[in-house]
Amino acid sequence: MHLVQRRAHEFGVRGVNPDAVTFDLAAAVVRKDAIVKGIISGIYSALKKNKNIAFFTGHAEFISPVDIRVNGKRLTTEKTLLAVGARTATVDIPGLAEVGFITNYEALTLEYLPASMIIIGAGYVGVEFAQMYARFGTKVVMLGRAPRVMPHEDEEVSAVLADVLWAEGIDLYISAPVLRAEREGEGKVVVAQIGGEERRFKAEVILFAGGRIARVDELGLAQAGVEVERHMIQVNSELRTTASNVWSIGDANGGAMFTHRATYDGPLAALNAVRGLKKKVDYRVVPRAVFSEPAVASVGLTERQAREAGHEVKVGKHLFAHTGRAKAIGQTEGFVKIVADAKSGEIFGAHILGAHADILIHQVVTAMYNHGTAEPIAKSIHIHPTLSEAVKSAAKAIGAAPVIQTGE
Amino acid sequence: MEKFDIAVIGGGQGGLPAAHMAANLGAKVALIEMREVGGT
Repeated sequence: MHLVQRRAHEFGVRGVNPDAVTFDLAAAVVRKDAIVKGIISGIYSALKKNKNIAFFTGHAEFISPVDIRVNGKRLTTEKTLLAVGARTATVDIPGLAEVGFITNYEALTLEYLPASMIIIGAGYVGVEFAQMYARFGTKVVMLGRAPRVMPHEDEEVSAVLADVLWAEGIDLYISAPVLRAEREGEGKVVVAQIGGEERRFKAEVILFAGGRIARVDELGLAQAGVEVERHMIQVNSELRTTASNVWSIGDANGGAMFTHRATYDGPLAALNAVRGLKKKVDYRVVPRAVFSEPAVASVGLTERQAREAGHEVKVGKHLFAHTGRAKAIGQTEGFVKIVADAKSGEIFGAHILGAHADILIHQVVTAMYNHGTAEPIAKSIHIHPTLSEAVKSAAKAIGAAPVIQTGE
Repeated sequence: MEKFDIAVIGGGQGGLPAAHMAANLGAKVALIEMREVGGT
């Protein structure tokens, strides 16, 4: 839709009238549902094949440390592994619950395209949905409380990403805490504090993307002796909770709330629980991604975090504007930045904003896993013309080897 | 009343590999999910 409307002409595609192009959200949701259904049916068939797993549908609640009630049925279990995930944080904005809002969950199941949407929150959920709906054709206002989008990422990533979102027509406001929500006729109004003034924004739909907390409602965790603090289940490095027979994994424990982290936690906690092992989690190298376009991907420390931790750092950076493949596909926004120890050369982190950043980050992830330097990335032969050359160029720019621009 | 070695509460992308790992280690597993497997 976005590409056809905005870029067909640039790529030499003729006969497309951008004004005649329309988007059928219901059809896109049907397609998405079909993909999800296929994945789910694969999961069920794998479960059925595993004779040691009995599957129960329903809400679980501890009634003692070893008894769990599911749909009125009582199960007795020696040990429990909590994989309960997270949900949108309880809304603390006056009037918002009364006015009505959706979360990321409903935002994937809308059957019609809203003409306008206010997104509260400029973290990864806010960014992804803002761009998605803006590209579908919804007029989007985005209100972030922090002084920049994606406040936990590299400052330059935040700045360039904000420019991209602005350029696509998203009304993005940062340092814009929301004060209250109101009804106004058929519309919904959100009042935010911007630059010392109250600003009113009106839209058809409000999407609340303001943080996620452990989904522990009515689980009876107190019955099991599992402590929850600041909305997160408390675990030790072996993923054991404050109850000696209960382990917990993934989003519900806080930290990096990503599927790939939960998938890492799961088998490790199961080994500890079933075999009585004492395997510790190692979150030193957990990559993250935001599926915007250009995408954001990062791993490890930002330059600022590394300096604040007392390290002397050196940084290598390369722009996609100087990468042949990025030019060819017309996606030259962004950069690769690698942060390393000035003395040993060990990589502290990498930050990529650009096309396919979510793929490109992995060669740095692999290097960091082994406490490596950027040298193998800088010296190994990379295929030309690929976006991966930008990672190699950033590695070379760290300083050990002189940067020689070729093939561009 | 059914007895299990381990109950896994939540059938998302963390609970599923945890349940399979526990089962493959020989444990009798109860996997409990309130909505739909796969996570959101």
